[in-house]
Amino acid sequence: MEEKFDCIIVGGGIAGLSAAMVLARGGARFLLIERGEFAGSKNVSGGVLWGTDLARLVPEYWTDADGFERFVRHRRLTFMDEASAFSLDFKSAHFDEPPYAGLIVLRARFDQWLAGKVEEAIAESEHPDGSFLATSILVEEVVRREGRVTGIRAGDETFYADVVILAEGVNNLLTRQVGLQDDYVPADHIMIGIKEVLRFDRARLEDRYQLHGLAGLSNEFVGYCSRGVEGGGFLYTNRESVSIGLVLGVKDLREKGLKPYDILNDFKNHPAVADMLRDGEEVEYSAHTVSSGDMRVMPREIYADGLLVAGEAANLLINAGKAIQGMDYAMRSGILAAEAVLDAKQKADFSKEILASYRAALEESFVMKDIRSFQGAVELLHDPMMYQTLPEMICDFGREFFTIQSRPTPKTREMLRETIKDRASYWSLIKLAYNASRSL
Amino acid sequence: MKDINLSERLGLVAYRNQGRSRAEPHILVDTSICNSVCPHHCTTYVCPAECYKYDQEGQVFFQFEDCIECGTCMYACDQGAVTWTYPDPEVGRGVTWNFG
Repeated sequence: MEEKFDCIIVGGGIAGLSAAMVLARGGARFLLIERGEFAGSKNVSGGVLWGTDLARLVPEYWTDADGFERFVRHRRLTFMDEASAFSLDFKSAHFDEPPYAGLIVLRARFDQWLAGKVEEAIAESEHPDGSFLATSILVEEVVRREGRVTGIRAGDETFYADVVILAEGVNNLLTRQVGLQDDYVPADHIMIGIKEVLRFDRARLEDRYQLHGLAGLSNEFVGYCSRGVEGGGFLYTNRESVSIGLVLGVKDLREKGLKPYDILNDFKNHPAVADMLRDGEEVEYSAHTVSSGDMRVMPREIYADGLLVAGEAANLLINAGKAIQGMDYAMRSGILAAEAVLDAKQKADFSKEILASYRAALEESFVMKDIRSFQGAVELLHDPMMYQTLPEMICDFGREFFTIQSRPTPKTREMLRETIKDRASYWSLIKLAYNASRSL
Repeated sequence: MKDINLSERLGLVAYRNQGRSRAEPHILVDTSICNSVCPHHCTTYVCPAECYKYDQEGQVFFQFEDCIECGTCMYACDQGAVTWTYPDPEVGRGVTWNFG
């Protein structure tokens, strides 16, 4: 008889590895399959891992700080027009204490590090020889028998398990294969992330960005950076490099006829950004799709008989203007999926009725609560008013406000009125303010 | 700072099976659709690795070798021309990110 695992996890990203960690600790026998050379080798993010769940998975991870680049101590949101940048800037020693609430990561390193922690957990578990992380294997098919998932096929080999967790990422071909999502997902709620890593001398980087120790900066941008395309920009400081990039709506890109790397060039050449990047050496160029956070792109369901879907394969992501969250959702959904597997194992029942507890737990968690409560924000950020007109207006006002000329200076109220008149109607602003106050 | 062009950018990418003389394509494109009914040819500009190009006759053609597996074309193409799968680890191409 074929060997059977308690669980097979497809994908060695954050969702898959988080599930694996919980399964190892819970005494389950599992097989995690990653198609890349190593965990993280196919993964791209901006990226900041928000939240504090990592401390649950790897207690006191900060004492072995090889996994992450820097923690977020300094946050900045920048509104841009072609020549100006107007920022909200917040830096606080309150962010200094672990567990940190934001970690800047490079996925090829972070995921590999987390996989190492999972290996340690397997070695210490009840089944040190019964669970495996396998790399360079592509899962081609989810195997079903009489309507329920029983395993996976990779090449000529089939592996069986009581439950399969699909943690395959946003390009969720297997989730589509089992019918939880349509084969063709339209571009409407899909964005493309495009990014470069620029290397710096570490001392120069820390001087330029006013960093010390492992403190880092997370800077989001909106306005000129996306050249009129829905989306925005980001800049994160790593230890010895900077990640800079854009997240752009694929449908809008298609309609506007623009090339993502041309927009990236313009963003990098913006006077405020060019000053931040000078003398950096490009060491990697990458891109990956990402869901916009619109719930309409989520799979029809995230559980079935013998099957769970976690992380971005379930399109768990949100951009509510304050931060792009996805990796924290992947981590929590991976944890909850594994807990549902352990619960089903105890009940010796892997039917969808039992596995539905995963959905319930996810709904109860911050993941689905936030995704549901910020759908309005996702909609709002779709509006050109938000990613184009408003940033321009803010920069107009900034230029007026900060310019001192040898002539009588108008009162601030006067400046505001003039700025608004040039760019929008009061009515559209009132509408925007009303929507923003409801959705953000 | 001088703009880095796309081929310099792609020169920074580590591809798998780079030494193989022939690799199996993981994306199949029915370019007869691109070159007949498609009104926008969007893949020729949305693809961040410029895998979709025009030939001298102005026809769209596809080369998978530079693909960085982002997935954009699978969503952007609304004409049904793109069949997207993941590259085979042994005989396919695809990326290995150093930073990611």
